[in-house]
Amino acid sequence: MNEMLKELCQLNGTSGYEDEVREYIKKKAEPYADDMYTDAVGNLLVFKRGEKRRIRPLMVCAHMDEVGFLVQSVNPDGTLRITGRGMDPRILIGKRMRVNGKTPGVISTKAVHLTTAEERKKAPALHQLFLDIGATSREQALSMVKPGDPVTPYGPYVEFGSGCVMSKAIDDRVGCYAELEIMKQDLEYDTWFVFSVCEEIGGTGAAAAARAIDPGVLVNLEGTTAGDMPGVKMPHGSTEMRKGPAISLIDRGTVYPRELRDKMTAKATELGIRWQYRASANGGTDAGKVHIAASGCLAIGVSNPTRYIHCASSVAYLDDIEEMVRLTGMIIREAGECNV
Amino acid sequence: MDLLENIKRITSAYGVSGDEYGVSAIAAEMMAPAVDRVEIDRFGNVYGYRSAAAENAKTVMISTHIDQIGLLVTKVTDEGFLKFTDIGVDPRMLPAARMRVVTESGEYLGVVISTPPHIQTGDKSAVPAPKDMAIDVGMTGEEAKKIFRVGDYAYFDSEMEELAGDVISGKAYDDRLCFCSVLDGIASIKDKPLPVNLVFVGSTKEEVGSHGALAAAHKILPDLAIAVDVCHARTPDNSPSDMVSEFGGGAAIGIGPESLPVLARRAMEIARAKDIPYQVDPIPAGSGTDASAIQRAADGIATLVLSLPIKYMHSPVETVRMCDVKALSRLIAALLLGCGEQGGLI
Repeated sequence: MNEMLKELCQLNGTSGYEDEVREYIKKKAEPYADDMYTDAVGNLLVFKRGEKRRIRPLMVCAHMDEVGFLVQSVNPDGTLRITGRGMDPRILIGKRMRVNGKTPGVISTKAVHLTTAEERKKAPALHQLFLDIGATSREQALSMVKPGDPVTPYGPYVEFGSGCVMSKAIDDRVGCYAELEIMKQDLEYDTWFVFSVCEEIGGTGAAAAARAIDPGVLVNLEGTTAGDMPGVKMPHGSTEMRKGPAISLIDRGTVYPRELRDKMTAKATELGIRWQYRASANGGTDAGKVHIAASGCLAIGVSNPTRYIHCASSVAYLDDIEEMVRLTGMIIREAGECNV
Repeated sequence: MDLLENIKRITSAYGVSGDEYGVSAIAAEMMAPAVDRVEIDRFGNVYGYRSAAAENAKTVMISTHIDQIGLLVTKVTDEGFLKFTDIGVDPRMLPAARMRVVTESGEYLGVVISTPPHIQTGDKSAVPAPKDMAIDVGMTGEEAKKIFRVGDYAYFDSEMEELAGDVISGKAYDDRLCFCSVLDGIASIKDKPLPVNLVFVGSTKEEVGSHGALAAAHKILPDLAIAVDVCHARTPDNSPSDMVSEFGGGAAIGIGPESLPVLARRAMEIARAKDIPYQVDPIPAGSGTDASAIQRAADGIATLVLSLPIKYMHSPVETVRMCDVKALSRLIAALLLGCGEQGGLI
């Protein structure tokens, strides 16, 4: 069992409510940090000195937040309305949630026996769903939770199948995990490790960190969409599980510079590190805001191919995750040569 | 015997319709202290017998079903995914649901596939059909084919959880919670002489048409049968015409052709006399419970339907109030002890 990955994935932290994740990472990073601080928006910035200096800093970035919701209002019968984005309402029915990381609740609908043929074909939208924490009156519910409280999906970490893991929040605790693992190593160049907030609502956290650091190179770590399951139309261009970490070509926010990418992929191939392209233009990452912040920087995107991201039961391959750590370590080393 | 521990134990057990033998053994073990003897038939039906204090007493059969809804594997794909067909499962519950797949070499965890928003195409509010879904077991095709076979069953991976107040949530509450409630009622009168012979049945295959209860009725030929099953408690998304019971409103006493009004009214009288919270559940036609099968068995058997209001029936997060479980348990005890008296059921 990978204890640190498990602990990271099980922490609760929707966008803007990353405190639990940050506190955990602080403790883990402390022994390796030469400098560490939390900025005004909640990003955790950790500096680790290497053997060599860089002209402009290298920033490694992974986001601490996960998809989730906020309590919107309390209904007279004690159930809650929730608001948020990033999760398909169709995967919420019949599922457990946590309010404030601790109060259990369930989302479901009236029983199938009571539905019309039309209702059985069309899934309810988020505003039609309600979260049931067992309260039977508004007063009882308000004694337990209040509007604005964060709601996270409940998805225990389980290692299963052949070398796979199932959990909530693999996107992007897998990136946080890789950063913490790399931080333990002796580094050739000075490196800033950023654990960002609010990626899932647009990458606003990482942008603030980038303006503070003004990096020359960004290595952005993500959990990305794997499309290797039945029913996904090919060619979707996204990644496949078990094929190693993915190096991005383009997404909604970034065209990743070719020279840096080609150099890194060539080196990875030379060293026998498994990797694949992420060739889908869908989705966006912190890189979108970071590479144009301050003076601008060269960005490279490294992602773990993850099935069912934005779901309480995402699936990843543990060897892919370890390979992502290797690949990222290699990039930090090699990117030193791009000392801009 | 702790009621909550019993609930946890039997709702964790596996027993999808047709393959109930595992849960049958557990049900028999749980019944044993409360009855004179237990028996399991070839169907997997569990019988708990308790004799009346006097000879030539009439026989009352109480039926609660112990099977649960689930999936049946129809294909192991070359990519390592399991295609399936469903046994009573609401397809809306399936995307991203964790499942336990039961194989010859043990149980394996899997998750029903879903497409993340980033790569969705087509109608984004359409419920995927079971034929378009599959279970991801985290294996390659080659690995999966060594372990999984067509005909393997799967069921929801969902443990019991306590919510606010006396509310609990989990899977297979339909109908194992009624099993636990009835057992609690029977156990509570263990030291009192019974006016009737009691046969408590944990029936099988209810979800596919009460085949187990039908066999049990033919075997026992009771003078009266009580089918105890779950009914729908109110949720915010009900339409005004939905027939629902109140959550926390007490045991529901069915009334209609399958829950004979003459019996239902007596049950209500007894509940009132003993101050047991109850509500009336009008059932105009088929009750969708074991009573449907039992009533039609042999020369016809008089049936009464008692129900436990639960929310989200057939989901992995069925939800119930313990006060309703206790009310039902007390009602069972009162109805049994009231037999043979003026105003008794029989």
